[in-house]
Amino acid sequence: MPRADVVVIGAGLAGLSCAAELAERGASVFLAAKGMATTHWTHGGLDVAAPVGASTARDGVRRLAAIPTHPYRWLAPDVESAVDGHLRRAAAEGLEHGGSLDAPLVPIPTAIGSLRPASILPAAQAAALEPWNGHGLVLVGFRRYRDAWAQYAARNLASGAWPDGPTEVTAAEVDLPGTDDLHNVNAQTLARLFDEPAWRERALRAIAGALPAGSARVGLPAVLGLTSHAEVLADAERILGRRVFEIPSLPPSVPGMRLFDALRRRILAAAGRIQIGFDVVSVEREGARISAVHTEAASRTLRLAADAFVLATGGIAGAGIRAHPDGGLTERVFGLPVSAPPRDQWFSDDPLEPHPLEAAEVEVDAELRPAGVDNGWVIGSALPGMHCLDQRCGDGVALASAHRAARSLAGSRAAAA
Amino acid sequence: MTFHDAAARAFPPFSTDACIKCNVCTTVCPVSRVTDEFPGPKYVGPQAQRFRGPSVADDSPDHSVDLCSGCGICTRACPAGVLIAETNNRARAAMVTQRGSSLRNRLISDTDLLARLGVPLAPLANIGLRNPVARWVGEKVLGVHRRGPLAPFARRTFRSWWKQRGGATTLASAGDPSKTVVYFHGCAVNGFEPDLGRDAVEILERNGYSVIVPRQECCGLPFISNGLYDQARRKAARNLASLAEFARAGYRIVGTSTSCTHALKAEYREMLDLSGADATAVADATWDMCELLLDLHDRGELDARFGPMVEPLPYHPPCQLKSHGIGTPAMDLFALVPGLRAFDSDHDCCGAAGTYGLKVERWQIAQDVGAPLFAKVRASGAVRAACDSETCRWQIESSTGVPTVHPITILAESYRRADAAAEEPWRRVG
Repeated sequence: MPRADVVVIGAGLAGLSCAAELAERGASVFLAAKGMATTHWTHGGLDVAAPVGASTARDGVRRLAAIPTHPYRWLAPDVESAVDGHLRRAAAEGLEHGGSLDAPLVPIPTAIGSLRPASILPAAQAAALEPWNGHGLVLVGFRRYRDAWAQYAARNLASGAWPDGPTEVTAAEVDLPGTDDLHNVNAQTLARLFDEPAWRERALRAIAGALPAGSARVGLPAVLGLTSHAEVLADAERILGRRVFEIPSLPPSVPGMRLFDALRRRILAAAGRIQIGFDVVSVEREGARISAVHTEAASRTLRLAADAFVLATGGIAGAGIRAHPDGGLTERVFGLPVSAPPRDQWFSDDPLEPHPLEAAEVEVDAELRPAGVDNGWVIGSALPGMHCLDQRCGDGVALASAHRAARSLAGSRAAAA
Repeated sequence: MTFHDAAARAFPPFSTDACIKCNVCTTVCPVSRVTDEFPGPKYVGPQAQRFRGPSVADDSPDHSVDLCSGCGICTRACPAGVLIAETNNRARAAMVTQRGSSLRNRLISDTDLLARLGVPLAPLANIGLRNPVARWVGEKVLGVHRRGPLAPFARRTFRSWWKQRGGATTLASAGDPSKTVVYFHGCAVNGFEPDLGRDAVEILERNGYSVIVPRQECCGLPFISNGLYDQARRKAARNLASLAEFARAGYRIVGTSTSCTHALKAEYREMLDLSGADATAVADATWDMCELLLDLHDRGELDARFGPMVEPLPYHPPCQLKSHGIGTPAMDLFALVPGLRAFDSDHDCCGAAGTYGLKVERWQIAQDVGAPLFAKVRASGAVRAACDSETCRWQIESSTGVPTVHPITILAESYRRADAAAEEPWRRVG
């Protein structure tokens, strides 16, 4: 295998984004991952920062940066250019976004009828960010699709507080053409049906027929196409004659699949290489430098030699960190030290409170370099000090850390040259 | 640690306990993408596995597992390390043991038998393969789709050429293991594409290697894919008996089919449970030919004097190659050829999956799976395409009309051009 400038390990938002930026900057990049990552499970929007009380994502970043352990204490200055770069890359692959760091964080509806704050979303979800100004909302469900229940979500939204929300929330159930004959109706089977122009036309007419009169916006399950997504969205607004937005539901996440694919294409277009399916199983070192990693293979391992290595393997939920029965924790690729509470403190009474093990992460310096490895960087949710679920900062930290590592690497390459 | 060690840690069906039901495998499955009849790897794998008993005699709760084409993409996509494709292949084999197999499946899996019958009758047999009436009869009687990609038989086997050439076949006649390799030609080179075998030998010899072609049979992969494990084990046992002594003596075993070499490296152990010392020795010694040439190049030992090939070349890395975990060595080698504009098809699967695309009830699925690839190859305007596995080449060629060759064929031609230019400088181009 020819030597690469950089090996990025991990194929989540952080790894993909870092590999794309490095490849765009002219580095030869090899992205290695043991499998697909969280893009396919998540909502496809950008959670940059939305701690309680934040008015915008930028304000959220400022608040989180004030927490002495939070990665934003170092990464805050990188957030703006990281998000800009990401949105530019996504747009270049046909995935436009709405909103910005300075747009107000507004409550948007989820598939179960709760609200979550958001300010940057893919175009297909962005109509949920617009002020409601007297409009109602009609949630559409599809009869054979069991992963999103419009009536249930509408009831929950109607009975809860939605500040400055729609005038009313109703539900409509639609029989999509031909779905009675299908064995499998999930988000991606529907998305692929919407990719077909003729079926899409009939389906959208059926949806239009089920809508109440008026100007209520339409919330649809996030299934509006994969390969022809932009056309599907345009057709939906044209045929339904009103603002339409997608609401992501259970995995597989169609918006996440679109995001993964856009970044994957970006990396390949910049001559980067991707191999998914093979875990890193050993590391070659020369003193404090990593000279190569080896990935598992059908017989002998594949040796990936590089000047630099970026760890984007995730935290404990993404399996970048392994917990052992004796209470020990290890970072799975380089065996980096992991800070963690003792075993008897691994329990929490409230499932929605920050979990003690979220604190189990790899220690790095301000340049995201782990101790004891001269040519390694750590990015994404393996970074210590954040509680992504309630701070809603996972995507922002992923992008900002990826950008910081790419800048830092580009700087050290320039210095070496 | 290799993939095999992961399999050894947990018998593949046990790995399904790690499934977190995230559905990532379903999003990448090329078959469930095009047919509603196949619910996807998760449903027929980790989900159904809970209802499968330990004995092959236990009824399977889910017969749709037979729609799995065996591409293996699900296993590679799984974030939790579940051996999905391997589990599903075993489930199919259990079903075949219990319910029996069709004459068609037993016949199209027995590629050695087909070559033994077809090669001596090649001119006539090939007329039959091209004849619409004969193909219609084949479809009605046997269930081989009339448009299924069948390659013409060679007029002469690779082995008969090798014998006539006086090529080495035994350990006794083998030279220094560091400069001698064993060539595993497999059934396709022997009975259908002997020119590829000659190109491989030419390239190996040019790079200073002596070649030995010991006794061998089809690797058995077509039987494995059709759930016919007993027949596959017989093929595997004979291959291991012949190859193991070379492996133990330090010879590398090189193949030009990424399907055969993956069977030797992985499937004998992961599917057929051949975990003995012979299987391990052969697996450790086996190399895909492009993998070997790239390794030589990394060591500075490859003759890199390639002649110019000024053409665009769509390259499709086959699923079996991707299961090797060796990157795409052909692309790295193409980069050494002046003028060659090779590009990765960036499409998951051609659909053929060995014998899958031949079957009358699977042909349309296989065509639909490969359709975006065919469109890219046609749109490229290239006069030919490249791919490392034979049935994928035949599928791409028959579905696009664009001749599709092994990367080794391209490299051999490039070397010949370099030679021609060296002898006749006025021919130098590019």
